[in-house]
Amino acid sequence: MKKIIILLLLPLLFMAGCTKDLTSLNEDPKNPSVVPSYALFTNAQRTLSNTLTSSSVNLNIFRLIVQYWTETTYTDESNYDLQTRQIPRGVWNSLYRDVLRDFQEAKNLIPTDVLDGTGKPDVAKQKNEMAIVDIMQVYTWYYLVTTFGNLPYSEALNIDKPFPKYDDQKAIYTDLLFRLNADIAALGGTASFGSADVLYKGDPAKWKKFAASLQLKMGMTIADSDPALAKTAVEAAIATGVLAGNNDNALFSYLSGPPNTNPIWVDLVQSGRKDFVATSTIINKMKTLGDPRLPFYFTLDGGGTDYIGGIAGASNNYTTYSKPSAKITAADFPALLMGYSEVRFLLSEAKERGYNVPGTAAEHYSAAITASIQYWGGTATQAATYLLQPEVAYSTATGDWKQKIGTQKYFSLYNRGWDEWIEQRRLDQPVIVAPSTAVSEYPVRFTYNVDEQNINTANYNAASTAIGGDEVTTKLFWDKF
Amino acid sequence: MVFLLLQIFFSIFLNKKKYIMKNFKLIMMFGLMFFGFQLFAQTSTVKGKVTDETGAGLPGVSVVLKGTSVGTSTGPDGSFSLMAPATATLVFTSVGLSRVEEPVRGRTTLSIQLVKSSNSLDEVVVTALGIRRSKNSLSYAAQTVAGDEVSKTRTNNFMNNLSGKVSGVEIRQTNSLGGSSNVVLRGAKSITGNNQALFVIDGVPFDNSNNNSGNQVTGRGGYDYGNAAADINPDDIDAITVLKGAAASALYGSRGSNGVILITTKKGRKGLGVTINSGITAGSILKNTFASYQKEYGGGYGPYYEDGTGYFLFRDPNSGFSPVSSSSPNGRLVVPTSEDASYGGKFDPNLLVYQWNAFDPSSPNFGKATPWVGAANDPTTFFTKPTSYNNSVFIDGGSDKGTFKLGYTRTDDNGIVPNSKVTKNLMNFSSTYNITDKLTAGASINYSNIVGKGRYGTGYDDKNLATNFRQWWQTNVDVAELKSAYFRTGRNVTWNPADPTDLTPIYWDNPYFTRYENFQNDTRNRYFGYATLNYKITDWLNVLGRVSIDQYSEIQEERQAMGSVTVSNYSRFNRTYNETNFDLLINFDKDVAKNLNVKGLLGANIRKQTIESISASTNGGLIVPKIYALSNSANPVNAPLESDLRKEVDGVFAGGTISYKDMLTLDVTVRRDASSTLPKGNNSYYYPSVSLGYVFSKLFEKATWLTYGKIRANYAEVGADAPFYSTLDVYNIVNPFGSSPQASVASTKNNPSLLPEKTKSTEIGLEMSFLRSRIGFDMSYYNAESFNQILPTTVSTATGYSSKFLNAGTIINKGLEVSLYGTPIKTKDFSWNVNINWTRNRNNVKALFEGSSNLLLASFQGGVSINATLGQPFGTLRGANFVYTNGQKTIGSNGRYLQSATSNEVIGNPNPDWIGGINNSIKYKNVSLSWLVDVRQGGDLFSLDLYYGLATGLYPETTGLNELGNQSRNEISDGGGIINPGVTADGKQNTTRVTNAQFGSYGYRRVPAAGFVYDASYVKLREAVLTYSLPGSIMKMVPAFKGIDLSLIGRNLWIIHKNLPYADPEEAISSGNLQGYQVGAYPTTRAFTFNVKLRF
Repeated sequence: MKKIIILLLLPLLFMAGCTKDLTSLNEDPKNPSVVPSYALFTNAQRTLSNTLTSSSVNLNIFRLIVQYWTETTYTDESNYDLQTRQIPRGVWNSLYRDVLRDFQEAKNLIPTDVLDGTGKPDVAKQKNEMAIVDIMQVYTWYYLVTTFGNLPYSEALNIDKPFPKYDDQKAIYTDLLFRLNADIAALGGTASFGSADVLYKGDPAKWKKFAASLQLKMGMTIADSDPALAKTAVEAAIATGVLAGNNDNALFSYLSGPPNTNPIWVDLVQSGRKDFVATSTIINKMKTLGDPRLPFYFTLDGGGTDYIGGIAGASNNYTTYSKPSAKITAADFPALLMGYSEVRFLLSEAKERGYNVPGTAAEHYSAAITASIQYWGGTATQAATYLLQPEVAYSTATGDWKQKIGTQKYFSLYNRGWDEWIEQRRLDQPVIVAPSTAVSEYPVRFTYNVDEQNINTANYNAASTAIGGDEVTTKLFWDKF
Repeated sequence: MVFLLLQIFFSIFLNKKKYIMKNFKLIMMFGLMFFGFQLFAQTSTVKGKVTDETGAGLPGVSVVLKGTSVGTSTGPDGSFSLMAPATATLVFTSVGLSRVEEPVRGRTTLSIQLVKSSNSLDEVVVTALGIRRSKNSLSYAAQTVAGDEVSKTRTNNFMNNLSGKVSGVEIRQTNSLGGSSNVVLRGAKSITGNNQALFVIDGVPFDNSNNNSGNQVTGRGGYDYGNAAADINPDDIDAITVLKGAAASALYGSRGSNGVILITTKKGRKGLGVTINSGITAGSILKNTFASYQKEYGGGYGPYYEDGTGYFLFRDPNSGFSPVSSSSPNGRLVVPTSEDASYGGKFDPNLLVYQWNAFDPSSPNFGKATPWVGAANDPTTFFTKPTSYNNSVFIDGGSDKGTFKLGYTRTDDNGIVPNSKVTKNLMNFSSTYNITDKLTAGASINYSNIVGKGRYGTGYDDKNLATNFRQWWQTNVDVAELKSAYFRTGRNVTWNPADPTDLTPIYWDNPYFTRYENFQNDTRNRYFGYATLNYKITDWLNVLGRVSIDQYSEIQEERQAMGSVTVSNYSRFNRTYNETNFDLLINFDKDVAKNLNVKGLLGANIRKQTIESISASTNGGLIVPKIYALSNSANPVNAPLESDLRKEVDGVFAGGTISYKDMLTLDVTVRRDASSTLPKGNNSYYYPSVSLGYVFSKLFEKATWLTYGKIRANYAEVGADAPFYSTLDVYNIVNPFGSSPQASVASTKNNPSLLPEKTKSTEIGLEMSFLRSRIGFDMSYYNAESFNQILPTTVSTATGYSSKFLNAGTIINKGLEVSLYGTPIKTKDFSWNVNINWTRNRNNVKALFEGSSNLLLASFQGGVSINATLGQPFGTLRGANFVYTNGQKTIGSNGRYLQSATSNEVIGNPNPDWIGGINNSIKYKNVSLSWLVDVRQGGDLFSLDLYYGLATGLYPETTGLNELGNQSRNEISDGGGIINPGVTADGKQNTTRVTNAQFGSYGYRRVPAAGFVYDASYVKLREAVLTYSLPGSIMKMVPAFKGIDLSLIGRNLWIIHKNLPYADPEEAISSGNLQGYQVGAYPTTRAFTFNVKLRF
């Protein structure tokens, strides 16, 4: 009898041996639940730089869109095929999930983990760091909003809103400018990230110039659609002080060893592939002008005698044509996130638009070209010679100021396809003709990430309707002409 | 009564003290009742012999006193002896044989004959937790396959041998050597979790992990290392019982929710038995499962290169094949070596072209132009004739005190590509010892050692030569020449150098270099075993305590040699798996009154699981060639990836069975699990099952045509816990940028308030047999609803995350399974048995998280994805579709197919309409022949091989004459080009001619993904086995032997029907939830084995 009872209780006795807290087993021993905020900042900055710089046909095809490069054999992306490789998804996920989210997390942690020597919050340092992270976020949003249009913004980066609504692109843009103003005002002193900041080693003064330059750039981008706001932003930026020379350039200095090299090196050199050649679109123009940057931009053709570009979008024999230069494809070639040259081009344009800008448009234009040539490795003499040519000199070059600036900006923004894509849509110069084999017209925006159609359907549909259709031909609010 | 006991038991567990006190008297009462039933009768030794229909002794037959668990088993000659009361009834059972009950009636010798009937309803079936039940009393679907059925074909992965032999089981196998097998019972129930059946050996779970990488399962390259159930020795299997539904497997807890494949291993028997098998296999590829090549055009993508025609490079051989210029003026035709397509120049034996071998100084064609013709040896000649050796020895024996079994099997498989080999050494030992009459100790230890070298590369990767040969190839390249180039030089002399002036490979290596230099190797050593103590308290009550371990460690090393197309590399992956189970089982089995039998079970289980892994890789290349060590890294090695997964599940369970007159059987089970992977407070869950079986034929005992009839119904709920570490958030540490540390937010948001997921299932079944079991069937209909699923639900990435763990999503599986069997002919010398299995499962994704209508499972190359789509069957293929006008494909103004605006349309459903198998076995005297026809009807797959291969012009479809009678590859101006069949947007027949002189017309660039979705149906003659057992007259001359069987076995003999061109529709990338996508598919091997089986 007793036996039976004991027996029936046995399983319970058995289990009594394991009454300890099971849940504690569910803590991952190999991954931390806390990390320093600056580690997130560095990672986000690097990922941002990679996304802007990459030449992967799965992510960054802007060099192909604006016809700096074209593909040799597998010409889909040169023909504006965004769908086969789901490029909008790549851009969207990278900027939202891999860049903005980590910046956001850095912001969440800074108030608690940036402390002074006594363990108290280092208020001054925190303030600068928060401003710098926000500037980087605004910079990231700028590419998103100029690529897609309406976007999840006010409800973005919040897991409690798994299917965020889309905000109006103009409203987002206005808020970004507002944030930038606040960030510029917040920056001061010297304390900040230090070496965790690859761009400026945490120098708040440099960051202030960067932020002002971004304000200038963002102001100019809406010059056609909102001249008043543009003027305010541009003049505020000038008052603050924009980049003052190539030594202010925002350079992300890659390392020579993987995995921290320039992504172009990975795509073009390490892979051993021969996917890209220069296009005749850029080569022919630069050759005509005897542009001193040609050897820095491209290799000679297969015959070793000349610069020859392939036809954008067509099948191109690799050997025949010039390729991206060894300078660009070097493992440690720094990525340029904001350059003095583009700042001077913007000032030139601002002057032409009648904003309150010191100097003349021609001075800014010449300084911009000179800065570009010097940045790429040319000399001041080469720049001066180049500027003497009637087709280059501001007073004599063909066309109105949009054409002059647009043409030279096209050359100077080489290797920064994404930026040129924005400038080209804004200035409509130079005119880029879509390949005859292209699957669409010249794209003036990206279609939304296909996942949004599936999972955020209602908001996606509303956004598509609001912008006039989720097409590559739908113009964004600032792209008036 | 059982219910009361259960109630009490659980009240104890729930600490309801009052209840316990109140019911204490009840417990005592029951205790007294049990004791009261004990019989006290005179016992004496009963001896006897059990024979089969031919009079031969049957070894291993279980002999048990009815209503108790006291018994023995027969020795090698079929004899037995045991102590039995004169009034007792002995029950004789053996898997695959009909059950016989024989009253002793005071006799001391008995002679029993058991009839072999593979579908006898009296047969014994092993059910959950190893409980043996007569099939008669089962009230849920359980199908048994004899071990011989899976071991007789002498293949090394028994899982694949189940295909077509059991209804409700869908098995998908890969053609990769030692590759994985997808084993799913009754459809996918979990949207993102594991859907593979649980393997259980002698009551102990056996891990069947598949740790193929994320890249591998999404077709992006890597090796298929197979799944771990391949460590099971087919020779050690006595029987396999497939518990298909939740009611049958509920006692296994959450792990059993996908059904259970129960394996009973061979047991030692009295006396000594030795069985030796030795087999040799030779095979060859089935030609219709591999590419056929067009023989009209050679390498190139179109007419845009250097010479006048545009099809060739134009280079000066006198100046190192540099482009024609003033300094190198002598232009000659050179194949565009960098181009991995066959849209090049038309073959012309009079045209002399410098080809890849003209640049290799060691080649006889060095510096020579050779005729422009199709290769004499196309890639089909790359495949070698696979051979296998299979040897095994099994020894078993026993006495009154105990039994033992010792087995060893070794298989050596050489694959269809050079330098590929998988070797298995499998050792099994088990023993039991009767310490006292009541106390039995048992132990089992199994060791397996799997060594792979040169497994096939898979997916879209330079190491998958099937991708190379099916998608990117020059038809002018001779594989035999590549072979001699590699063996001549030992270097990567490729057909695909970047340029005649730059002989580094651009996309593809010399395939022999790939096989001999860029190979992988792997080893897995596994120990699986248990120790048990079984104490018989009384005849009807016993307690079993068991500790079991399943422990293995594996290493995978992968190499990329210097000089390969991709960066040289060495990586290693070490993983250890450890599972320990502690079980306590209390069983009782008693005839409590005339015609009333009660069985009961109480138990507890503690499962501890630890999986640790570390993977490391060289960074940015190697320094010294052919040294594969982390220290040989060109750059500092990045921090290895480590993982340490731990889990414990504590379960208690109870079950009871009441049978009345062997006619009505009621089963009730309940289990409670507490899992460490769930959040505190919500980490325990209950699941009950109830089953009822009714043998209605007992009412019609006079109806001679009806042998047996049973109707059964059951209901069960099964819960499941969460994946490892899905409740608390952690960060990912990223390799530092120089000296700056980096970290990132994980892309999946964890959830501290997860609840267990649930499956509710109902099943009804009908079993009938007629004409003394000459014909019969067993059918089941089931409906399982899996809800509250724990999913990493896809969220908008605008949240900063890809997914969030949530309880969301419902899948419904409904299905019908039918097993039909019959014996059309049965005479003394000749018999013919037919066994048909048919399965139809329909599943539907009924709910996803909130407003979302799709959950992306994975995206694949070719712009296609595999998804759980609301309102659709699980695993939909999505991608770009055609645009249809009046039901016809619409052609745009450029003459090409219009494609849907998004790459988001549902273009395929990978689930078959039905699957089935027809087994025939014929026996004439000593010769037996069996064959299996395996059928799969419906289901779709996307072929990346044809998506690219048709674009690059490898296949005959891309050449030939157009409707004008001209070569379609001619320029349109020369009468070439093609007119795509379809209509224009206004519904008129398309008449726009498009060029076919450049690559793409038939492939990926010009045809949407939907154009490469194929019907995956097949009808296969899967296996045939011809066995000749040497007759007694010969055996008398070799008295040392008890039996000698000679077998000729054929596998994959004939694909009778398929709709997918150039490949086997069954070929998959890996096991898992991502099915319906083919990339770099390997051809199927037809294999013949000659096997000798000796019994001593």
